[in-house]
Amino acid sequence: MKPSRLAVVLVASVAALSCGRGDTVQRPYDNNDLQLVTSYTAKDFCSCVFVMEMSEDYCKRWTAASPAVATVRVDYQERTVQTAAALLWGEKARFVNAREGCLLE
Amino acid sequence: MSPHRSRRKSWLPALLSVALCGALPASAAECSTLSTPWPTQVWPEAREEVAATRAEQLRALEDYAFTLVGKDEERKGVRTDGLLLIHKGRIIYERYGRGFDAGKRHLSWSMSKSFTSALTGIAVRENLLSLDDSLCEYVKATRQSNCAISVRNLLEFASGLDWREDYENGGTHQTSSVLAMLYGEGRKDMVAFITAHEQQEKPGTSWRYSSGDTTLLAGVLDAALKPTYGREWPWKLLLDVLGMRSATWERDAKGVIVGSSYLHATPRDLAKLGYLYLRDGCWEGKRVLPEEWVTDSTKVSEPIMLKSYARGSDDVQGWQWWLNRPIPGVQAELPWPSAPEGAYAARGHWGQSMTVIPSKELIVVRTADDRDGSFSLDTLLKLSLAVVEGLP
Repeated sequence: MKPSRLAVVLVASVAALSCGRGDTVQRPYDNNDLQLVTSYTAKDFCSCVFVMEMSEDYCKRWTAASPAVATVRVDYQERTVQTAAALLWGEKARFVNAREGCLLE
Repeated sequence: MSPHRSRRKSWLPALLSVALCGALPASAAECSTLSTPWPTQVWPEAREEVAATRAEQLRALEDYAFTLVGKDEERKGVRTDGLLLIHKGRIIYERYGRGFDAGKRHLSWSMSKSFTSALTGIAVRENLLSLDDSLCEYVKATRQSNCAISVRNLLEFASGLDWREDYENGGTHQTSSVLAMLYGEGRKDMVAFITAHEQQEKPGTSWRYSSGDTTLLAGVLDAALKPTYGREWPWKLLLDVLGMRSATWERDAKGVIVGSSYLHATPRDLAKLGYLYLRDGCWEGKRVLPEEWVTDSTKVSEPIMLKSYARGSDDVQGWQWWLNRPIPGVQAELPWPSAPEGAYAARGHWGQSMTVIPSKELIVVRTADDRDGSFSLDTLLKLSLAVVEGLP
């Protein structure tokens, strides 16, 4: 598997326990790898730090995907996580409250 | 006939039940009282007794679950974050690893689906929804033809929607429906995104594991329950009832809970759903789930017997629960041969599971970060069952 495809494997299975079962070809979606990986990392890093209350070190490993997101910035005062990759791509997730966790902006 | 067919806001069932309850003796479906205290506030414990008498079996279980291999960043082998065994309503074993402890929430991924299923049962009990209602009685479908999908179809992963749970990445465009829903174009309004999909099969005639079906179900529940219970309906109707104080359930930008994937809680709180089902839908002596809901939820769903897409051999499902049952006419072997037939589990990505083994009154909760497919739920259950073998 090429690294650029591994990306989405890590993110992918989310619900999954059911990956790798191709059959018919469905419609493509209007997203690309970098957009998905920056939003995945922003949302799940935010949940990891502010909901699971784990360390940034742990959360880096928990959310690691490829292509790697260039930067992850945690703002503890604002309770946000900002990610960026390849200049064009960036996403921000915000911790809402203890019941609602994090939400992509 | 399933009892879960009552119409919304119907007065007749309520009237009948009042009339009948006065006339009939206590039935088996009533909630019994237990000698073990309910775990709403805190789980009763029997750890010391079990540690003293079952040391060898506990060591084998720990060796399997907590032996790490390689460097952490290599993400190899069995990587358990939490393991909790509850036998006859008491904690008999609990251990955490990799930086977790009893107070820390863990993402449950698709274990969330079994909670969404339970909330569907509660909506039926409240007469605010019927399983045979069209989803369009509650939400607007982007594609009108999807109004043929019923609540039951969603509960049974039988919407027939053209949905891809896996990934197929093309660089500039990709075809994973679940990724697009959670992180791409669907994230702003998941109900609109899901109902924009085309039908591949007539609803109810095929089975396909789909986070879209579950999150659409959560959207239906939101519309059915919010007018009466507000946007905190999952807490008012279930999570607070069970005392799941750690529960965090994330939403899409429209405020609908992501019913397929985003519930976080501690293992002790996740186990409470298992205990609710073990006690046939009763909690603190009161009925939370409708009569027969647990039985109906843990039967093999009909659509899986008709036609299935992308089904693995351990994919035997009821109403958003994984079952240790054969599928008549399809598959004779049990998904977890070491466990008794009739066990069922809520399961999530990367090794999350909460298994209920009714015949042993055992609940096994595991949080984890498994990445290489080497973990076996069957082995975990075999070693867990050895711990309780012969215990009073």
